[in-house]
Amino acid sequence: MNKTVQTILEYAQRLVDEKVVGESDMISLRTELNFMYITKAGVKLCDLKEDDVIKMNIFKVENEYKYHAEIYKSREDINAICQCYPKWVMPIAKAGVTIPAVLDDMAQIVGPTCKTANDDIASIIKTLKGRNSCLVKDKGCITSGRTLDEAYTCVLVLDKASHCFVASSVIGENKIINGLEARLMRLIYKKKYSKTNQENLTLKEESESVSEDTSVKEEGEV
Amino acid sequence: MAWDKETELRLRQVIKDSGVTLLNENLVQGTWGNTATRLDEDHMLVTPTGLDYIALTPEDMPVVQISDPSIWSDGKKPTSERKIHAAIMQARPEINATIHSHPIFCSILASARIELPVMNDDMQRLVGGSCRVGAYGLPGTKKLKNGTVEAMKDRSACFMANHGVFCAGKDMDEALEIIRVMERSCYQYIQECTLKATGQQTYSDELLFDYFVAQKTAPKGKKK
Repeated sequence: MNKTVQTILEYAQRLVDEKVVGESDMISLRTELNFMYITKAGVKLCDLKEDDVIKMNIFKVENEYKYHAEIYKSREDINAICQCYPKWVMPIAKAGVTIPAVLDDMAQIVGPTCKTANDDIASIIKTLKGRNSCLVKDKGCITSGRTLDEAYTCVLVLDKASHCFVASSVIGENKIINGLEARLMRLIYKKKYSKTNQENLTLKEESESVSEDTSVKEEGEV
Repeated sequence: MAWDKETELRLRQVIKDSGVTLLNENLVQGTWGNTATRLDEDHMLVTPTGLDYIALTPEDMPVVQISDPSIWSDGKKPTSERKIHAAIMQARPEINATIHSHPIFCSILASARIELPVMNDDMQRLVGGSCRVGAYGLPGTKKLKNGTVEAMKDRSACFMANHGVFCAGKDMDEALEIIRVMERSCYQYIQECTLKATGQQTYSDELLFDYFVAQKTAPKGKKK
């Protein structure tokens, strides 16, 4: 089996195991500048098979795959996207509010805040600017990363932070980490873990599906 | 060194098993959490930094000096949170095992910085009273360490603000019992608060969802 397909199947299963998926979640991985592997629209991640992971040119996609393609087009730093519907994110997406830095791991991995975008691609790209994740009004969340592992971890952390934020409505307001400390933690985290990511990228570069051009681009970016 | 090899081997396995137990019981997220056991008055075994609990071997656990946690030997690089474990072990000679983790319900109270009242007999017996919240400090700072020691006074558990929970026991089995009762008690507290806020009789997550959405979307001035 193609290694990229295998990676996507593995992370789909992990998302299912962690119970952070809904009905129409989709995940994708960019392997070359203009190509991505994406899970077929309408197939639940828990039912995903090898044939349900499709390679496509991000400039020639059908409507269902537009969100992923447009994000890759606008952001060369993003190589993986999870479009998920985790349980605790849903009420926040419905209310359309911003999640503040309620926990250290949220500040580190997701960022000092996570905003809700409207359900249109322009709004999503705007909301993602300078960030890796956002919520989508009445839908769920979109997380991204340089690797699928980063995007996957963001889904877990976001669902946990969401749970804290939602529950705080009955137990008393969240005491938010101050903005400066939250940004500092994010910075330290990014620096610390860029090494791990580099290792992940090296693994990815070795995979058969990555062209040499992409490898050079990624090395330049790290 | 004031411990024998046999004890060390046994405790290495205890640390390894504690990580797996936390993972299996959903009391930790990924590798985010760490445990320690005392070897003698000035040495402890801790979990290494950033490694999968499943993949870890008993030999991977480093020996850390309690009076100066920057000194360590054997095993892999110890968790960066070892200073807190060391500070508790130093302040409390009766403590032989410590757990720091971020299970969801404890994290919720930690993020709201709420002192958890005694919720049940088990909590009274194991924690020794209410569960206080230590002062907020960035990971690895003196402020966080001192805040945790202060909040743990006469207790066997405390919250770390916006971070998680810290538990300490006479041995690892007791420390695990404490983190279990903490997670259970926090869930009980959230359920009771939800029922009180909504005036309903039976708790469900959906009840909490609806309350949250109604509160956040209420016209300004009408928020509770």
